[in-house]
Amino acid sequence: MRRLALPIAIAALLALAGLAVVEVLRPSAAPTRTEQARQIAADLRCPDCQALSVAESETAAAAAIRRQIVEQLAAGQSPAQIRAYFVARYGEWILLAPPSPFAWWIPPVAVLLGISVFAWWVGGRRAAAAPDAPLSAGLREQIRDEVEQLDA
Amino acid sequence: MLRPSLIRWLALPLVLVPLGWLLFTGLGSDPRVIPSPLVGKPMPAFAGTTLDGGEFSSADLAGNPAVVNFWASYCIPSCVDEHPVLLDLAARHAGALQLVGVLVSDTPDGALGFLDRYGQVSWPTLLNADGGISIDYGVIGPPETFFVDAQGIVVSRHVGPLTSSVVADGLAALGLAP
Repeated sequence: MRRLALPIAIAALLALAGLAVVEVLRPSAAPTRTEQARQIAADLRCPDCQALSVAESETAAAAAIRRQIVEQLAAGQSPAQIRAYFVARYGEWILLAPPSPFAWWIPPVAVLLGISVFAWWVGGRRAAAAPDAPLSAGLREQIRDEVEQLDA
Repeated sequence: MLRPSLIRWLALPLVLVPLGWLLFTGLGSDPRVIPSPLVGKPMPAFAGTTLDGGEFSSADLAGNPAVVNFWASYCIPSCVDEHPVLLDLAARHAGALQLVGVLVSDTPDGALGFLDRYGQVSWPTLLNADGGISIDYGVIGPPETFFVDAQGIVVSRHVGPLTSSVVADGLAALGLAP
């Protein structure tokens, strides 16, 4: 079991990394401006709400941000530029999701690494505490011969 | 040559010490404090209509340290609590410091009613009807206050009601006596 722990952990890590790459590189249809505005608003935290995005909130502050998103898209700004515009004013706090999609993989990778290290540590202790294997007949005879030579 | 069991015992603190440090520093920080990216940078420019029907812009501050206070009549009790602190600040630093009020998602009638009740102010209050100034300053909610030096650089930001000690810290950051 202990011999399999490391290969299993490495295989799981590789599978997670592969999923992350597929997710990032997956092609999708170009969204309309309305969809882009909705997506940007969904990615931004409503400044004066509890756990709501700008897209979900009905406060005046969220409405003002939605208005600015639409204006900036109409002016030719990209979604990344618009997010950067709000981050420059509110800080990264305004983003509901981490800027890099790879950040989502940090917790499961950390958990897997922790489990691997723990399994390695516990496995080593068990191996150290395991009783010795019985002596073979040949070895027993060799030891007896050596003891007799010492006594002689 | 180190024995494997010894290596295991040495590896344990290598994992636990950084984890403990992360936990300790995380618990020590105040989750309500949200740093403003504006601190240390030029204040965002603004211009607009004031409560008394005039016009005011950040260009009118040129050469003077300023306190930009975002507030609203519905912001109770925080804005009520800080109002005497602002009145006192304006009285003690008249001529040396320019105060500017900015409404956050409020109506002129609501703001005028607040001032009638809690005390008229001598400084301009921008209506900020479209909320654009709030966005430019990254305002989370009223009350929120920015201290700006004579060169137009934001030196500090305070989220929540002003107190005399917060004002003293802000003035110190501006190089002014309390």
